[in-house]
Amino acid sequence: MSATSKIQPASEPPPPLVPREWRLRLDPLLLLATLGLVACSVIAIKGATADDIPGDPLYYVKRQGIYAIVGLVLMYGVSRLDYSRLRELRYPIYGVLMVSIVAVLALATATRGAKSWIPLPGFNLQPSELGKVLLVVALSGFLVERMREMGRQTTARVMLLGLLPTLLVMAEPDLGSATVYVAGTLAILFVAGAPWRHFAALIALFAVSVTFVLVAAPRLGVEVLKPYQVSRLTAFLHPSADPGDAGYQQAQSLTAIGSGEKTGRGIENATQTSLGFLPEHHTDFIYAVIGETYGFAGCALVLSLYALLIWRALHILTISKNLFGALIAGGIAVMLLFQLFVNIGMNVGIMPITGVTAPLLSFGGSSLLSTFLALGLLHYINAQARATADRKGRAIFQ
Amino acid sequence: MPKRVEERVRPITPQLAWRVAVLGGIAFVLFGIVFFRLWYLQVLTGQEAVTQARDNRVRKVRIEAPRGDIVDKNNVKLVRTKAAAVVQMVPSQLPESVREDADAYRKNLAAAESDRLRAQDSYDALRRQLKDDGRKDSKAEKRELSALRKQARAARPVQVPTVRLAETDLIALYKRMGKVLRISPKTIHKRVIRGIADAPYSNVTIVTDVERAKFNYMRENADQFKGVVVEERYLRRYPEKQLAAQIFGRVFEIGPEQLKKDAYAGVAQGTRIGQSGLEKHYDKYLRGTDGYQRVVVDALGRRDDQRIASVREPKQGQRLKLTLDYNLQRAGDAALAKAISASHFSARAGAYVAMDPRDGAILAMGSAPGFDATVFARPFTERIWDSLTSKATGEPLLNRATDSAYPIGSTFKPITALAALETGLIKANDKIFDNGHYELGPQKYQNAKGMSFGSIDMSDALKVSSDVFFYRLGEQANAKNRAIQRWATKLGFGKTTGIDTDGEAAGLVPDRRWRDEAFAKYEACVEKNKLEIRTMAALYKCGGVERTWTTGDNVNLAVGQGDLQATPLQVAVAYSALANNGTIVKPHFGQAIEDGNGVTIQELPNKPKRKVKIDPEARAVVLDGLHRAATEEQGTSADVFKGWPKEYKLYGKTGTVERPPNPDQSWYACFVKDGDRPIVIVVTVERGGFGAETAAPAARLILSQWFDVKDREFKAGTDQSN
Repeated sequence: MSATSKIQPASEPPPPLVPREWRLRLDPLLLLATLGLVACSVIAIKGATADDIPGDPLYYVKRQGIYAIVGLVLMYGVSRLDYSRLRELRYPIYGVLMVSIVAVLALATATRGAKSWIPLPGFNLQPSELGKVLLVVALSGFLVERMREMGRQTTARVMLLGLLPTLLVMAEPDLGSATVYVAGTLAILFVAGAPWRHFAALIALFAVSVTFVLVAAPRLGVEVLKPYQVSRLTAFLHPSADPGDAGYQQAQSLTAIGSGEKTGRGIENATQTSLGFLPEHHTDFIYAVIGETYGFAGCALVLSLYALLIWRALHILTISKNLFGALIAGGIAVMLLFQLFVNIGMNVGIMPITGVTAPLLSFGGSSLLSTFLALGLLHYINAQARATADRKGRAIFQ
Repeated sequence: MPKRVEERVRPITPQLAWRVAVLGGIAFVLFGIVFFRLWYLQVLTGQEAVTQARDNRVRKVRIEAPRGDIVDKNNVKLVRTKAAAVVQMVPSQLPESVREDADAYRKNLAAAESDRLRAQDSYDALRRQLKDDGRKDSKAEKRELSALRKQARAARPVQVPTVRLAETDLIALYKRMGKVLRISPKTIHKRVIRGIADAPYSNVTIVTDVERAKFNYMRENADQFKGVVVEERYLRRYPEKQLAAQIFGRVFEIGPEQLKKDAYAGVAQGTRIGQSGLEKHYDKYLRGTDGYQRVVVDALGRRDDQRIASVREPKQGQRLKLTLDYNLQRAGDAALAKAISASHFSARAGAYVAMDPRDGAILAMGSAPGFDATVFARPFTERIWDSLTSKATGEPLLNRATDSAYPIGSTFKPITALAALETGLIKANDKIFDNGHYELGPQKYQNAKGMSFGSIDMSDALKVSSDVFFYRLGEQANAKNRAIQRWATKLGFGKTTGIDTDGEAAGLVPDRRWRDEAFAKYEACVEKNKLEIRTMAALYKCGGVERTWTTGDNVNLAVGQGDLQATPLQVAVAYSALANNGTIVKPHFGQAIEDGNGVTIQELPNKPKRKVKIDPEARAVVLDGLHRAATEEQGTSADVFKGWPKEYKLYGKTGTVERPPNPDQSWYACFVKDGDRPIVIVVTVERGGFGAETAAPAARLILSQWFDVKDREFKAGTDQSN
């Protein structure tokens, strides 16, 4: 019989216009951005890969379409899930993450090849992609538990938890995913409110290790990064030095994007793409394909859709009904932002070539599905927030 | 009941709001960066990228222009161009092991060649040392020297590696190719290895000129012939095979040195150009204009034939019309062949020229032994080259009518006669008693077989070809300021005639200055090499001019013997000057440049070189002598021309050159100057015997063809004068 139970709301909330049960619990703008990007992806892939598989011009389009549909269903399913349960599942989730990455490494060693996927029937699962979501969820779970003691120790522990899968992924070698993991980990710490000086310290540490990896270690004869990785990483600093190697890809990408000019050259005339000058034209350099085919207009459209996506993600962060949701939303938002910026930056020649794919845009089942998974979480956080607000009678600024 | 964390912690704290704002700010900045980068790339510098993208994909592929045809004066095609199928193999599509083997083969070849050069160096050094040490060489030293020389002469042969047994695909491919092309797989492999060793990046030609059916078969079954390219290329065709084969010349790819020359400005690398003969001289007309195709290539350099960007069709070269008369040429070749087979000294070489004395247009020209000009259609193999140029085969490539200078014997007498009359050594009616013998100091000369002609004047002397008469003139002329030499030079001896092929010999008109200078060189050489004058060693080392000029040299010159050297063409030019009253013509084959339909584009210039003033009386005497020689009883070639129709007034002179240790060389020079079809004919047969015996009958056959005289029998004359 506590006092609080007697308190009555001042007034009943106004009856919703649409009955709550009928509402699609999805954020419409986020959905719009998602569908728009998937459409752009399919269109770009169709134009780029028409000649890639002889006799089956729609080979990649069909697959990307199937992934997208499966992804949308997955997204919707996740959006109805009670994500708070995930907090309790943080240890199993982290366990799955580590096991899958180790499994890939073991498989690669067994077959003596550098592979970053697990062959499943009809589909090659890339755990490092799925791991992006798993890592964000698991780390958010850990952080929420230690929220009240947001000290140096917490920061260090979370960093360690984040760096462990990062190093394993780096060994695959999948440098791109590794950087995304780091970005996600830092984002969660940042949203959780880790002190600024911790970030300063981390940045200093990072600078020291980069120097070590790129300069000191090779002198001592230890090869942390493979030479081709180093050359790819540094090629953007001198793009057209030698058209025979890493700089070549970037030079071709710049030529492709530039030659699109304002409105693009159209699929027929996009020779950089169709004649194979542009490498990896359906995955890493899909943005260059859009740039060549549809020009500045196409590029700007995709960029706006991404901006919409990021804005909605950050918005959902702010309305999250609890910190766990906020941390997940923050981690996802920054991961998406990081990926799209690194990928597009690589396409336009301001970032190194790291093999980071453009979320929702690049061809690839694992990447697409894990992005949809992440978006599903965002939708659910959004739905929960709105449900709570409805319940509490608070209006949420759209 | 403990409260759940999310209910304890207020989700949106001011700190979180601030941090989200920071994240939003970062996102905004990043999007801004990308936006402006895109603006820069696509709007500000997009045009450059468009150019770059175009350069990326478009390659210019040359389409070879077919060369122009070469036709005779009546448009009979002597040289044509025809597309032919060529089977080539692409080195990059062959197994790695083949390239390795080719590489090894090339290295072995280079090693063998460098060994040869080393042997050459040691040979030179040893020889120098042996020579300089002053003592007699020992047997061992001599043996070593000759061993070294043997090594230095030719590199040791290098075996072409056989195909590796592990390359079963390649062996099968060779077998399939061999079956179609009818060559052994071994030969194919040999050509592949040699070809790659020669030029590692260009396709190896296995067979040129493949039959149509085989060509089609290989095209249609391309999947069975991976790495094999079947292409059309233009090849020269010589429908008349041996006919005038020496004059056309070769066509092959332009060399790196030639590319730099102004004459070949604008000629692309890899273009096949005329490299000798008429092909070279008229190359700029015959060559044509290459076309090109702008083709689209992908990143791997593969052609995308669906996207041909633009085509400029090649333009065939212009047609070269020659002054040659196909029928006369055939008759000439046949006549020369008959003359050669009529010789008693197993002759096999000879030449003839038939020329229009008015302007130097060559009507027919032949040289024996001949060869099938089809060899010019493709690159020479060493074997073909040897067979065309070795002494054993009689050097068929040599055009003896223009490139070989010989003493010309009595056919020179008209020039001596003209010189003597012009310089006043003798008058037209002055008689000299010819007893058949002539002495100059210790030297004894005589007519052939010591024949005596009695008291004769100039005309008689030419008619019977009296040596004694001309010996005397030669002796007298020696004191007379190079009289014979001056006239010989005036009439074109001793200098090239400027004919429009290459390789022409200049010949030699010997005089005191030449001999004395040459002897001074000889002496210096003998001195330097510490040899004895007039020994065999000195002869080999320093040449044959072993003495200074003597009157005897001039006596020899007067009858066209001794050091005089002239080509049949030069004789024709000199006789033309007699026929046309002093015009020194420039002999030429080229008459006009025509387009493909035979419409004349340009007449080729044929201006005479110069005009020589000849005293009409002197000329009349010489012409009279020549006419009588060919027609009157006792004339040197009268019996050969028995029954020759009077309406074609003939002037002719036999010649028999003593060429010890070889048998005599037969000469005949003649012309018909009147009427509308004047012609000069010069025939010579090496080892042909007397002039009347082989050369004169051949000349008659050619004349018969030219004037359409029915009597076409080869009638050897009996005259045995020089």
